[in-house]
Formats: sequence, structure tokens, C-alpha cells
Amino acid sequence: MEYQPTIVSFLCNWCSYTGADLAGTSRTKYAPNIRIVRVMCSGRVDPTFVMKAFREGADGVLICGCHPGDCHYHEGNYKCLRRYHLIRKYIEQMGISPERLRLEWISASEGKQFAELADEMTADLLKLGPVNIKNVLEEV
Amino acid sequence: MEEPRIGVYVCWCGTNISKTVDVEQVTAAVSKLPHVIIARNYKYMCSDPGQDLILKDIREHQLNRVVVSACSPRIHELTFRKVLVNAGLNPYLFEMANIREQVSWVHDDRDIATGKATSLVKAAIQRVAHHEPLEKRRVDIHPATLIIGGGITGLTAAMEIADSGNQVHLIEKSGRLGGMVSLLHQTHPHLTAGNELIQPLIDKAQPHPKVRVWLNSQIEEVTGYVGNFRARIRSGEEVEELDCGNIIVATGTKPFDPSQIPEYGYGMLPGVITSLEFEEMLRKGKIVTKDGESPCDIAIIHCVGSRNMEYHPYCSRVCCTTALKFANQIRAALPDAGIYQLYADMRSFGKGCEEFYMRTSRRGVIFMMFDQKGKLPVVKPNNTGGRGRLLISTRELLSGEEIEIPADLVILMVASEAREDARETAHLTGISLCGNQFFIEKHPKLDPVATTTDGVFIAGSCQGPKDIADSVSQARAAAARVLASILCGSVEVEVTTAVVNDKVCCGCQTCISVCPYHAIHFDEEKRVSEVNEILCKGCGTCGSACPTGAIHARHFTDDQILSQIEGLLSPITLKAMEMAMED
Repeated sequence: MEYQPTIVSFLCNWCSYTGADLAGTSRTKYAPNIRIVRVMCSGRVDPTFVMKAFREGADGVLICGCHPGDCHYHEGNYKCLRRYHLIRKYIEQMGISPERLRLEWISASEGKQFAELADEMTADLLKLGPVNIKNVLEEV
Repeated sequence: MEEPRIGVYVCWCGTNISKTVDVEQVTAAVSKLPHVIIARNYKYMCSDPGQDLILKDIREHQLNRVVVSACSPRIHELTFRKVLVNAGLNPYLFEMANIREQVSWVHDDRDIATGKATSLVKAAIQRVAHHEPLEKRRVDIHPATLIIGGGITGLTAAMEIADSGNQVHLIEKSGRLGGMVSLLHQTHPHLTAGNELIQPLIDKAQPHPKVRVWLNSQIEEVTGYVGNFRARIRSGEEVEELDCGNIIVATGTKPFDPSQIPEYGYGMLPGVITSLEFEEMLRKGKIVTKDGESPCDIAIIHCVGSRNMEYHPYCSRVCCTTALKFANQIRAALPDAGIYQLYADMRSFGKGCEEFYMRTSRRGVIFMMFDQKGKLPVVKPNNTGGRGRLLISTRELLSGEEIEIPADLVILMVASEAREDARETAHLTGISLCGNQFFIEKHPKLDPVATTTDGVFIAGSCQGPKDIADSVSQARAAAARVLASILCGSVEVEVTTAVVNDKVCCGCQTCISVCPYHAIHFDEEKRVSEVNEILCKGCGTCGSACPTGAIHARHFTDDQILSQIEGLLSPITLKAMEMAMED
């Protein structure tokens, strides 16, 4: 069967999850590879969530939060941004391409942008191919 | 923890879900999962029979957890939580899988959509197994209300609340009350004077013992939460803090600046004015050109900045009927003047407005349609020496003819747009903005004046362009919401806050440094962090920063989210998807 990447996406409740809902209410079609997990704030995204997703077989992880300055909790998205750079380095050391983890800002009105992002990331992961997490885990 | 006994309900949402997702297959796929006692699907889970189905099953099968797989939890999570409460279960022992907004409305392939829906439901089942009962907390409501904006919306809400005997703080940025309405000579369709509507409100509000009016004042900071907000207000050099239980944002809009549309020559050609400048002229009592002469021909151009992808995509809702009002006012003052309406589409909707259009069209007013998506009319000086100081060239859409219209005065019906400080106000009060920078309501149909921040309401044209009648309705709606909460005296607040397990906390205080609300303090005696649950807003940032896992972000715990991820990616669902795709 043709390889289809699976993306786990963590969306903050206030901006990005609402943006994804808007893609739905506007019937904007996008790649079905994305699976959404709702968190109250992108600042809640623990590095272990990202590692868990890869460990369980995700080919990519997408974190979305409010645009800088728009965080419902003032600055949770900045905390997320700092962690994001660390997690990217960490997964790279483990042999997972850092391109498989993305952090993007999606506002409550950006349903279209969310749909485009889902398509774009799916296309990128198709090019990268599967993670093959078993090999990664054995090497580590 | 007791053994989970989970009931799973897959909604068809009529055909909204069922036409793209095979709900039977989803139900069958999850029915054999561990802890699932019963799995059903039904036409409309949110309907009364749908809710009864859950209620009955909880009682009959002693369910202690429920998953509903339907629309976004932003729409019906509260509906279903109430069902659990009615059945005697804790409302937090519930989880929703969003298979409408995230699946059936965005994907076409039925097999793939069914596979994805199955994994979302499975994730919800795995998550709900880890849910724990949480006890709701009630907080007292401070009876004072903060209203931002002293236009007709803010004033109306203020009087409604103050007349019930409750304190109102009315904050106005400018030096006068009355907002846009006080700038209008007359209003449509009844030609009532703007002042006649607004002045009595101002006269009542200013001396009212329960209204404190703050002119030339701005909000600098809002802290707290529903029932217990504290706002810092600056008036010039003076800063004061005040407490309030609810906030109504009624900041209105501003007119579009037409100088950005080169075709109309606003700012370059004398004689081209905006609709608000024309109102001012009417208020002064004389329609004149720049040179003080009486104009022979007046043209009114519609949709200036509205319904145009270059400027604003939306309709500003009040301009068409205002343009008709202008035609009537001009006709009354200048019986012989030529009056030309250049419109894109006439939208004189609303009670009495279509009739107003019919009456106006019988008063010697010429209506001409232009192509808003094609070439806009062009206004230029008339150098031919013929009639009119200005000439407007346009292609009249209905006849298809290129025509030139003489005019001594051109009135631009400018769009209503979000204020430049809308973003700042949104930040201060915790409201979200839509793509056009207007404030977003909690639900467009069912909860139009509430916002996603409890205790913060929006009313009037800060939510989107609106006429006076609609603004006043919203003002009274917002006031009713506020009064209901004051009357109740207390309100339930979310309990999804963080809590520290002091046996695991190592005292590193990382959580204290990341908390945006200073809700965590260090207990020097016990050498552990402690969360103040009143100040905590439940963002969970401390939970992801805690190196020892001592912080438990309630309802978004590590266990819950990690199990959800496992459910999303578990081989059973991937296999189900592969099978579905091979079929």
C-alpha cells in the first residue's frame, strides 16, 4: 500500500482549535492525515507528548498556537516556542529529522491557513517518507 | 479508581456526518474495545431523544464514562456534560470526538474519513478512561459592571443595568458621550434625528447615581476572572483601579478612509466628501459645495471600501439605507437638484427599509448600477465647461452603457471598519478577533453577545457593522446576561486548574517562573510549590515545564493526553483504516 504519513497535531483551544473548526464550518477540504489533540494552550505541549507521538508511529507532529502577542494566556505560545527549538534538537539527536516537527501560529479566523498547512505538511512528509520508529528506537 | 464502564455514542448529525463517515462501521469498530460497555449511533445526539438515550444507558448499564463523537466540543460539550449531571455522574467524566468539523466536513473519501473518525473516537475512549471527577467551584459576582464605550450601545446597556440598582462604570476614550449616533443628522428609515435618540440617554446617564462616567479615559489592564475582575483605568495623569464582576465591550467602529481608493479622488478633488462629512453638513443645516454654492447635481457612490476584496470583503449593512435617507434629505432641501445613486447592489433590508427604498425611488432619484468586481466609477474634474464641476464615468451595468454623470458634490458611502485599537481592547479583555478585526462572539447564533472569556460580553458594531436598532438590541441582550449573573450572585467557574503533588515536587520553582498569572507560590516551610486555584486559569504551561511531573494539569493531565495520543495512533485503528482503504 502506498505510504500515507500520519500527523499528530496539538492545537490550542482558543485560536488554533477554533481555526480548525472554522476550516470545517467553511467546508475547506484538506489532507486527512492530520489527527488533532486539543490542549488549552500551546504552552501545555510537554516534550513527552511529542516523543510519545513519534514513538507510537506518527510521521510528523504539528503544534499550533495563537499568533505572537495573541495568546489567551498572555505568553504560553512563547514558552512553547522555546521548547519547540529544544525538542527539534532532541529528536534530531535521536535520528528523527527535525523537519518532522513544526510549530505554526493559527488564529481563530485562519481556517483556510490551517487547511493549507495540513496539506503542505502532508506533502512534505510524503517526500521524507516514514520515520521507521523501530529502527530509531533500536539505535537509541 | 473504579473500573471504567464507557458508553460511546456516534452522531450522524443528520447527513452532516453520516454522508461522509460510515457511522455503523465506526460504532462496530469501537464497540469491542476495552471498557466499552455499549456503543450506539443516532441521528442527532444533541436532540432530546439523543440525550435521553445516554441518560437511560447510564442508568441501565451503570456507565461511569461517556464519549460522544459528533461536532466540535466548542458547540456541545456543555450540553452533554449536563446529561451526565442529570444522570448523577460527574460532568468531567465525558469526552467528545470531533468527527464533523475535523472529518466529515473537511474530507471527501468515505473510507478514509471513516478510518480517521474511528481513530478519533478511539482516542477519546482511551482518554476518558483516565478522566477523574472534578468538583465545580462557585465564586461570588461583584455587582459592578464595567462598560467600555459610551456610544448608543454602551449607554443603553449602562442605563439598563443602572436602573436595576447596580453600579456601572462607563469608560469613554473621547471627551464626549454619544459616539457615532450623535454625528448623525437623521436616522433611517423614519428620519428621526440622531440627537433625539442619543441626547435623552446622555442626559439620563450623566447624573444617574449608579453610573460613573469616565471621559477621556482608557483601560490599561484587566486582571481577574468572571465575577471578580479588576481594571486599571487611566484618565490623563490619574490612574484608578476598580472592581467589577462583568465587562461589556461596546467600542463601536470607525469610518473607512476613502483616500486609499484612487478612482474616487477623495482628498484631491474638493466636492468629494464622505457620508459622515455630509451628515455634518446636514447638521449645520445647509447643503453646499466647497465654494458655498448650492449644488445642482449630487452623486452618491455606494460600497466605498465594502464588498470589495481590495478593501473589505463584508457588507457594512447601514450604507444603502443611509444613502436613501440622503436622497430624501437632499430632495427636501433642493427640489430641483439631480440626485444620482451609484450602487453595486441595493440592500435596503430590514423592517420598513424596502418600503423606504420604494418611496425614495419615486422622488426623482436616478439609480445606476456599477460593477463592484470590475471597474469602479472614476471621479475627475469636469474640464468640458458643461454641467457639473465633476464628472463621474462609469459603465452602467443594467444597460451596459458607458456614461458620464455630472456632479457638484459626490458623497462616498464609506465602509464601517474595526477601530485601530480593536486588537489592544481584545488583548486587554481576552476576546478573539475575526479576520476583519471585529470581535468574535461565543456562538454566532446561540450566544451572540458572550465571548469565550466568561464575564466578558460584546455588543454593537465592535462585533461587526450594525445599525442602531441591532446595536440597541445587543446592548439590552448583554445587559440581560450581566443582570442574570448579578441576580444569581455567584457563578460556577472552571476547575481545570493545576495542582501540585507535594510528595513529588522537588522545589525547583520552574513552574513559578513560567506561570503568566503569578498563581504559584513557594511554600518555604514545606519547600514545595503551591497553586492558588483562584488565580490559576488552567493553561497547563507549568505542567509541561515541571521536571518531576509533580504538576497535575486537571482535565489535561499527562495520562489523559498520552492515552489520547496512543488511541490516535494505535495499530487497531491504522489497520482498520488500511482495511477500509483496500476495500
